[in-house]
Amino acid sequence: QFCTNNNAHVVQPRLRIEEIRAKRLSIFDKELKRQQALIPRLEKIEVAYEGLDNETTTLVMNKGVSTPYNCAQHISEHVVKNSVAAEINGEIWDFHRPIPSDCTLKLLCMKPEDQHQASLVNKTFWRSCSFLLGAVVEGSFQDEISVSLHSFPPANVRSGSFVYDVQLSLDDWVPSQSDLRQISASFQKFVRQNHIFQRLDIDSSVALKMFEDNAFKAEQIPHIATKSSSGHTVTVYRVGDHIDISRGPMIASTSLVGRCLLTAVHKLDSRIYRFQGIALPSEIYINHFALGIIEARARKLNPARIPELKSN
Amino acid sequence: MSTIGLLRTIFSHKILTSNVIQTPSLNKSPFIVGFFLNHDQVRTMSRVKRRTTHPPYWHVLKNPQKVDDKISADNLRFVREVIQENYKNKSPLKPSELQIEKSEWDPKTKRSGVIARNIGMQYMWEKDGKKVKCTVLHVLDNHVIRYIPPEEYVKTMIGSKFFKYKKPLGCLVVGAEARNPERFTKQYCNLFASVGLMPKKTLSRFIITPNAALPPCTPITAGHFVVGQAVDISGKTIDYGFQGVVKRWGFKGGPASHGATKFHRRGGTIGTGRDKARVWPGQKMPGHMGSERRFSRGLKIMRINMKYNVIYVKGTVPGATNTIVRIFDTVLPLRKLKEAPPHPTYFPPEDGTQPEEDIWDSSLHVFGSPSISV
Repeated sequence: QFCTNNNAHVVQPRLRIEEIRAKRLSIFDKELKRQQALIPRLEKIEVAYEGLDNETTTLVMNKGVSTPYNCAQHISEHVVKNSVAAEINGEIWDFHRPIPSDCTLKLLCMKPEDQHQASLVNKTFWRSCSFLLGAVVEGSFQDEISVSLHSFPPANVRSGSFVYDVQLSLDDWVPSQSDLRQISASFQKFVRQNHIFQRLDIDSSVALKMFEDNAFKAEQIPHIATKSSSGHTVTVYRVGDHIDISRGPMIASTSLVGRCLLTAVHKLDSRIYRFQGIALPSEIYINHFALGIIEARARKLNPARIPELKSN
Repeated sequence: MSTIGLLRTIFSHKILTSNVIQTPSLNKSPFIVGFFLNHDQVRTMSRVKRRTTHPPYWHVLKNPQKVDDKISADNLRFVREVIQENYKNKSPLKPSELQIEKSEWDPKTKRSGVIARNIGMQYMWEKDGKKVKCTVLHVLDNHVIRYIPPEEYVKTMIGSKFFKYKKPLGCLVVGAEARNPERFTKQYCNLFASVGLMPKKTLSRFIITPNAALPPCTPITAGHFVVGQAVDISGKTIDYGFQGVVKRWGFKGGPASHGATKFHRRGGTIGTGRDKARVWPGQKMPGHMGSERRFSRGLKIMRINMKYNVIYVKGTVPGATNTIVRIFDTVLPLRKLKEAPPHPTYFPPEDGTQPEEDIWDSSLHVFGSPSISV
C-alpha cells in the first residue's frame, strides 16, 4: 500500500522477507545452541552487585551462562523491569549477555544521576532504536519492492533523530503523511511486543552465510570482523524475528521504548533512503507540545555520514 | 363518602401536561381550591436532570491525564520561547486582510455573541442624580475559531434538536482566554491548530444567521456592542450547594416562637393524603440549589471602554464574580436593536485613527465632568 508499481524495479527473483528471516533465525538458533554446548560443566563466579547508596551484595552466579538479567532477578522485580543495561567492571554490558568471570555489577536505569552514565545510556537507547527502525522498515514494504538494509551510523543524540539507511527498489519515493504514520504505528506495535535484545558473537563465516542475500552486509562483515578483538568475530543481535549486525551494547528489551515515531524519509543518492525517527523511553513523559518540537527537528535531514556505494 | 369527597370526584380537574399554572378559577367548587394549590407547575420540572458535572461524551478530552516529567530549566525556557514565537504574530488583522463578505444588517439578523468575565459591580449616576447599579463585564480575547453553515449544523446532535421545527441557522464557534498549549491535550489543541491560534480556555457556540458569519481568526471586542443597546446575558448561577426549602423555594417555614417545637424552617405538608395518595413528582423539597444556566434579559449597556474592552451593564448578571458569561443582542421584542449595530462585528478604522476610548450613555453623568451645568 505504499506506492504504485510504476516505480518498482524488480532486480531479481528474491525470497520473501519472512523466508529470509526464517533462514537467519535457524542459523542463529543453531549457533546459539552450539555455543551453549561448549560449556561442559557449570562453574561458579562471584558477582559483586552495587545497588542504591553503594550497598554491595555478593551474588554467586554461573560462569558464562548467567546474565545481568539473572542477577537482577535476585534483587527485585523493579530492577528487572526498569534496567536498561548493566555496567560490569565499569564497562557497559548488554542485559542479556552472559557474564564470563568475577566482576562488579551495576544496573543502569533510564534516569541515572551520573552525567557520564546518563550519556552512555542515552547512546545505547538511540542505537537500539536505530536497530528497531531497521527491523520495522524491512517488514513494511510490499513483496515486489526489494528492501536491503544498509547500515546505521553511530548513535548521535545531538543530531536530533536516529537513522537507518535502507536501499529500496523505488526510484523517486516521497512518503506521504499517512505512510509515515502507518510505519510509526507498526513501529509502536512491534515495540509493544516486549522483545528482548539477544546478543550473539559469531564467526564471520557464519555471519556471511546468514547475510548472504544482503549485498551490503556481506561487504561490511569482513571489515567489522577485522576490527573485533579476536579478528574474525561479528556481533549479531536478535529482536523478535529480526537479526542484524551491530557493534555496541543495546538496551535490555523493547518494553523500555515508549513513544516512537518515524519522522522523515530522505532520499540519498542511488536509491538509498534515510529513515529518521525519534523515540522516548517509556518512563519519561513530556507534554505533546514539547514532543512536537522534537519531532519537528527530527524532520530535517540527519547530518550523519552518507554511505558510499561502490557497486550498483 | 363525605360531601367534600363527593364534590371532589364530581368536579375533579383534568391533569394538565403543559406549563400552565392551575388557577383556582378552573375549579368549579370553592371547597376544592385550597387542596390543589400545592401542585402548581409540577409536571415540567419532574424528572428533568438539571445539571451534570461532566462534559458530554462527544467533547474532546481537554486536560491531560499524565503529569509531565521534570524537564531541565534550560529546556523549559526554550519551550516557552518556541510558544511565544509561534503565537506572537497573531495580532488582529486588518479587515481588508480578512475575507469578509459585505452583508447588510436587517432586524432579523442574529449576530454573534461575546464571551466575557463578570468582574464585579459598580455604581453609575444619571444626570438627575439617580443611582444606577451596573455590572462590569470584561470582554476577553475572543477569536472566531470556525463557522458552521446551517446545512452542516442541522446534522449535529444539538443542531437537530434546536432546529427540529424551525428554519436552520448557522453556528459560530468562538474561543476566549488564550492559554499555554502544554496545559491541554493534543486533541484539544488540534481544534485550534487549523486556524493557528493558541488554544483557548473557554469555547462557546453562538447561533447566527448566515449573513453574520465571520472568518476564522477574527477578533471580537467590546466594540461589537453599542452603548444604549439591550443585551441578554447567560451565565451559570451561584452554586449555593444543598439548601433548605426556605432559601431554595421561598417557603415561609414556621413561627420562631410561640411554642413551635422543631418547626422553624421546614417544609410542612407534602401531599393531601386523599386524592392521588402519593407525593407528586416535582414536589418542592430541599436539594442542590444554583449552578444552573440562566439568562438575564434586556439589560441596558450604560458604558463601554474600548481600550480595556469593558462593558458596563445596568442590573445584575447570573453567576458569581470572576465567572464567565456570554453576552448576546437581546431577543426581547420591545428592546431589540432598531438601527444597525457594527455588523458582522466591530473593526477598528483602517486609517489608523483611534476610536473614542470611553463611550457613555447619554443619560449618565460622566465622572469628572462638572455636575452642575449652566
